[in-house]
This record gives sequence, C-alpha cells and structure tokens, in this order.
Amino acid sequence: MSKRNAVAGGNGGPRTPPFDVVAAYRRLLSEDEDLTMPVAAIEALILALANTPASTVSETLDLVSKLTAQLKRGIPNSISLSAGTDLFQQYLISNLQRPSARGDFDQMRTHLVQNGKLFVERAKAARETIAGFGRHFIRDGNVVLTNGGSRVVGSLLRSAAESSNNRGTIRFKVIYVMSPNNSAEEDESRQNVAALRERDIPVATIPSTAVAYCMDQVTQCFVGAEGVVENGGIVSRMGTYQMGMLAKAAGKPFYVVSESHKFVRLYPLNQQDLGIEQNVVDFRTSVGSVKGESRSVKDEGMEETKGYKSPDFATQDAVDYTPPHLISGIITESGVLLPSAVSEELIKIWF
Amino acid sequence: MSAPLPAQEQAKAEEQKLSPAELKKRAKAEKQARRAAQKGGQEQDGDVGASATAPNGVNGDSNTTKHDSGATQQQHAQKPKGEKQQKGQQQQKHGRQGAQEVESHHKRTGSQSQPLPIRRRPSQSGAPPVVQKPAPKKINKQVELFSHLYTQPRRQSIEGVSKDIHPAVLALGFQMSSYEICGSSARCVAMLLAFKEAIQAYTTPAGTSLARHLTSHYLSPQIDFLKSCRPISESMGNAIRWLKKLIVEIDPDTSEQDAKDDLCERIDTFIRERITVTDQAIATSACQQIKDGSVVLTYAKSSIVERTILEAHTNGTKFRVIVVDSRPLFEGKSLATSLMHAGLEVEYLPYSAISHAVKQATLVLLGAHSMLSNGRLQSRVGTASVAMQAAKSDIPVIVCCESVKFSGKVALDSIVLNEVAPAEELLLPSQSASAKPAKEDTSEDAEAKPKSLSDWKDIANLQILNLMYDVTPAEYIRMVICEYGSLPPSSVPVVHRLANEGM
Repeated sequence: MSKRNAVAGGNGGPRTPPFDVVAAYRRLLSEDEDLTMPVAAIEALILALANTPASTVSETLDLVSKLTAQLKRGIPNSISLSAGTDLFQQYLISNLQRPSARGDFDQMRTHLVQNGKLFVERAKAARETIAGFGRHFIRDGNVVLTNGGSRVVGSLLRSAAESSNNRGTIRFKVIYVMSPNNSAEEDESRQNVAALRERDIPVATIPSTAVAYCMDQVTQCFVGAEGVVENGGIVSRMGTYQMGMLAKAAGKPFYVVSESHKFVRLYPLNQQDLGIEQNVVDFRTSVGSVKGESRSVKDEGMEETKGYKSPDFATQDAVDYTPPHLISGIITESGVLLPSAVSEELIKIWF
Repeated sequence: MSAPLPAQEQAKAEEQKLSPAELKKRAKAEKQARRAAQKGGQEQDGDVGASATAPNGVNGDSNTTKHDSGATQQQHAQKPKGEKQQKGQQQQKHGRQGAQEVESHHKRTGSQSQPLPIRRRPSQSGAPPVVQKPAPKKINKQVELFSHLYTQPRRQSIEGVSKDIHPAVLALGFQMSSYEICGSSARCVAMLLAFKEAIQAYTTPAGTSLARHLTSHYLSPQIDFLKSCRPISESMGNAIRWLKKLIVEIDPDTSEQDAKDDLCERIDTFIRERITVTDQAIATSACQQIKDGSVVLTYAKSSIVERTILEAHTNGTKFRVIVVDSRPLFEGKSLATSLMHAGLEVEYLPYSAISHAVKQATLVLLGAHSMLSNGRLQSRVGTASVAMQAAKSDIPVIVCCESVKFSGKVALDSIVLNEVAPAEELLLPSQSASAKPAKEDTSEDAEAKPKSLSDWKDIANLQILNLMYDVTPAEYIRMVICEYGSLPPSSVPVVHRLANEGM
C-alpha cells in the first residue's frame, strides 16, 4: 500500500487537486492481472482519498462522488466499475453518517485507507469460494460450454478439474467459444484453455458462430459477467446473450459465475438501454456512416467520453445484456442465487 | 357381462358414503335405470343388486362360491362395506378377491357400449338440481363465482349513519362511492386528511386514555363507514395500519391536545413522504425510460403515469402517447385531455383497439391499484390484457407504484381479491326512453317483447358483472418503479417488508 501511495503521490502530489483517478484505475488494472474492474475502481478511489486531504464528512462524500463521476466519464464502459464505486460510496455514507463516527473521523478515514488492501484480498478470495460452490455443478461426463476470458469461470473450471469425487477426478469436457481474431482479449481465454488442457481436461475451441451447432452436446453453460444488473440479468461480453438464448431454446442450464461485488444498480430494459455507447450497429452507405438515421443510443453525459474512446470500439470490447429469464442461476460467493435474488441483495446494501 | 361396470360404480360410491339407507337408495335407482335401459336379461342382475344392499354376511358367503357369474362380482364389490360391519375375516378375503375380479372385468368390458347409460346415472340424477338452480338466480342477480365479493350495496345516503361519523369522513365516503375521488393514492390521501379533521374533533371520554379509546371506538366506525361506501384500497389499508400503530405507541403521559397535534403532524409527514414526494421521485425516475421517439402506451388513468409523462414532456423529450380507455369509468379521457393541454401528441383509442395500439408502442406505462407479493399487479380491469399484448410483442411493461400500495397478499387470479362495482354502471347511459335502443340489447332478448339492457333485473339468466380490478401476471411486467428504485416484480415482497412492515 505504501509503495503504491508513493507512486500515486508522485503522480499528483498531496496538495495539488487533480489526482488522476482514471490513470490510477488503469494502472491498477494493468499491474494486477487478477484484479476485477469494480475492485480496481474501489482501490483507485481509496488511493485518491489517501492523496487528497478532506477533513469533513460531506467534503469526503463530495470528493468521492466527483471522483466517481470522473472515473465513469474516463472509461468508455463504466458498467462494471460503477458497481465498485457505488458500493464504496454506499459504504462511506453508511459509515460516515453514523453519529458515532463523527468524533473520530480521521481515525475512520485512515482505517478506510489502510483496509483497502484487505478488501482487495477478500475480493480475490471470493473467487475461490465461488469455485468451491460451482464445481459441484460439474459431474462426470459433462460437457461445459463457456466463453470469454472470465477469471472466475476459469478458476471454477480449474477447481472442478482438480477436485475429485469418490471414484477419482471428475472427467468432463469443455467447449470454449473464442473469437477467431487474435485480440488481446483472447489472451485470457487462451490461458484458461491451456490451464485446463494441462489438467487433462479435453477442450474444444469453437467460433461463436458454432454455438448453436454444438448445443446438443452441451450439458450446461457457464459464463462470467462484467456486471450483474438489478433484475438479475447480466452485462457480459458480446455473444453471451445469444448463447443464453440458444441454451434456453435447447433447455440447457445457463449459469452465471460472478462475485457479488459485481452487482450493479442498473436496470436495462433492452440492449440499447445500457447507458453506454457502443457502435455495434453502424449503418453505412458508400458515402460513410449514416449517424443521423441510425438509432441513437446516446445517453446524457456520454458526449464527453468520445475523447477517451478509441475509434474502433467495436465488437471485441462490446458487451450485451442477457435478460434474467435466460439465466438458471448466479453462482456467487454468498451462494447460488436465482436471478430474482439479485435485487434483494442490492436492496439490502442500499437500504 | 354388462354387470361389472355398475358394480364397480357402486363399490366406489359406497367407499365414499357408507350409510345403509344411501346404499338402498342407490341400488333402487340403479335397478330402475337398468330396467329402463334395454335388455330383459338384466332383471336378474337388478334383483341381485337389491339383495346385496342388505348387509348380510350369509348372503355374501353363499355367493362367493359362484365366482364366474357377473352377479357374484357385483355382490363382491359391494361386500367390503357389509363386511366392515360384520368383521368376518374370511369374507374380507373374498371381498377383496371379488373387487379385484371386478376391476379386471371392467378392463375387458370397457369397450362395451351397453353399460354407458347406467354409468352416466349419477350425473343424470345430479342434473335436475342444475336445471333448477337458475330459478333462485332470477331473484339473486349476483354472479355465483364472485359471490364473496358482493358486499352490501354501496351506501348512497346518509340514512342510518352513526352520529359519531365526522362530517369530513361522511363527505369523503360519498365522494368515493361516486368516484368523485378515485384512484388508490388519491383515496388514501383524502382519507388521511379526513382523519386529521376527525382526530382534531375527538375528545377522549373520561376514564379512558386516548391511545386505548381512539382507535377502537372512534376511528373504527369511521373506517367502517368508508368501507360501506366503497371497499378500501390496499394503500388505505397500509395507511390505516400505520396510523393504528402510531396511536397505540402514543405515550400516555402526553396531553390530549399534544397527542392529537402530534398525530396530525405525523399524518402530514406520512402523506408527504410516502405519497407526494414519492410520486415526484417515481416520476423523475420513470421519465428516464421515455426516450426521444418513444411511443408510450398507457391504459385508463394513473396520476403517477400522468405525472411521469408530463415530466418527460417538460424535459423536452419528443415522444407520443397512446391512451387506451374503456367503459364504464372512461378515466383515460381525463388523462388524454390533460396531456393534450400540455401540448403532447395524444392518441385516444378504445379498448378494442389494443392490438393496434401495441403495434406502435415502444413502452407501456401502467399505474397500480396494488402490487401483490408474488409480483403480480392489481390494477384497473383490462390492464392484464394490455400487459399481455405488450409482453407478447416484447415491449417493456413498466409499473409505477408507490411502496404504500405494496401488499403482503398473494393472488393467482382476479377472482379472490377484487371489488364488484354496481352493475348499473355498465348500462349504457342513453336510457332516456327515446327511439334509440342500445344495440347490445338485441342479443339478450331474442325471445319476447323488446326489453332493453336496463331491464336486466327482469331478464332471466342475465347477470351483469362489473369488476373493478384484474391481476396481471408477473412475467408480463418488466420493471416496477417505486421510491426505492427500479425493481423486478419479484422484489415486491422485500420492499413491502421494508416499507410497510418496518423490517
């Protein structure tokens, strides 16, 4: 923590107001492979708090909300990180506004800053707990369909491969959906595949176009999520929605594996309702893109993001929304939940 | 071979009712029926059946020897009953054998058509009462299935009202029964305001305390009076529960005037926090769902939906509204008018045009009478079809509802929890004895002199059912917006516990 503080301090300096929370967030994500976006967001906020003197409760809250807004503006797809920032904000509000906390505000603040690491550690440990819950879903002879480089799905499958029932290790097969282009995104998928093959688990990789083709061999699907939204649906990498639909059509269980800190207070009604701009459907004529006529999915405050966005933000980074009726269960560290339980969990956090 | 079927029939019947008199009756009826139904050879069977009615062990014993005849089997089938009285073990064995035998015979003879008239006998004998039933219904114009919903007719006059009823409550009661004040939230607010006046007019009698006397002896009659004007809504129920709890918790040491002032103040806070501000919060949150180019479909009228639409319009969103409306209240007319005056583009359609309306819509906004704990929506009758149509075309259905309307009750259909409004409301208004007989009438009185629908009380076999609400299944509802945010319908019980039960 202290080392990081020093780095961050060099970045902004304790007295200079603009602490670049976006840069800190990006750096945290790149430094630690295992860090998820919500946790990185929380850590970035804690770093920012440590580097900015705020002496009163309202000042702190104000600072946090400003930093959050800055962070959300700075990252094109802010759904996942907003789960973390919301959680942090709520934690602050409930803790700082308790009358007892008022006296020792400074103490509380230092406690918060020091315990940031603990939170990160716990978030990582959650992954192991989830793997423990989830591996019981995999039995001998199963064929598991999965996609994307989700770390938690990876650890679940690895855990299942290593665990054993009373007759020896569980023998199952994995069908891994990978996009054909060699993007950096696929690195994690490749790592997961390699790790499974190392453990003697047969893995087939298929393009996303072949999901329907192999659905009849599949026993169940496991997918990760960037965010679990309030109605129990998930926001996840492009292609998850169609996988869910195909699984539903074929009557195969479709499980989402996600830490509960990815629960986000967002309630999309459809794909255009995610609050982020994705240029997936881009109508073009020979003259060029017909922006005006295409359906506008712009949200307020999204104009500013254009500066940060790479121009070819297209399908590889894009996400889609899978509605809750396609999901059989959400495996979290607090147990396996039905999609409808997500909203209850969120209400518990918020009220 | 035709005997086994009735025999089994009989055996079954006897299992249910074991009185010997019953048995005899049945046997006799059967005999008659069988005689009436063809075959002279069956007379024999009938005789045996009659003899079997006597719980006679000797008779049964003698018959067990002749296993092959159909008559014996019939005897056996009847036997378990007689045996129970006699408790002869040997006979019991025989009886079981016989019963099995009958079953196997039954299978084999199943394709035979001859026993059928006899088989139908119970239903035939049951038929006459069914025919007779409509006769008393001529007087009773209530629909049987909904008979639990008919309370005493809505009070329309001040006659026989207890003198304790406060004038404000009196006025409110008549305003409610005439739909002058209509809508769950409006009625709730109006009731609380009337109670405020009533509470101020209250004086605790000597020898008792306000906390103990006010609710049971003063407030309860007021509530009962309101109920007699029109059944109270879920929000009113929640508010009353809250108020009663508040009164019980009053510190006995506070002076009466202080307690009353405190109560009134708390009622004001309740109205502000649970309804006024809440409505604003819901409208602000719900109008985010209306985007440029949206076509918002709504049914009947909800104050919250109206507010949401107006707010979205004030925010400069360009959208269109379709108001679907239906008889008898035509609540949508006032909604359409107010939206129109606000400068919105409004399309007003009759209920029969739902499928057309749904085709253009991109969003359905609905108000609620109550949200039930299984996520179902109770709202103005007709809402369910609108929601179903929309859900079938994958248009998001959003319910705007304050948490005060959330209910702990659960309903699977619209029958158990509902309100029956006076049937007269469904009659067409053009009854001015002019030349214009309503078209609907023609179907009802094809037989005799020209009766109109307004004569429905004299027309046999005609009942009019005027339901107020229906229940929309949770799977048609994409989102519920309340002051706690946007929820899936499955979270209604959680919020209900949080908001209305203080847990």
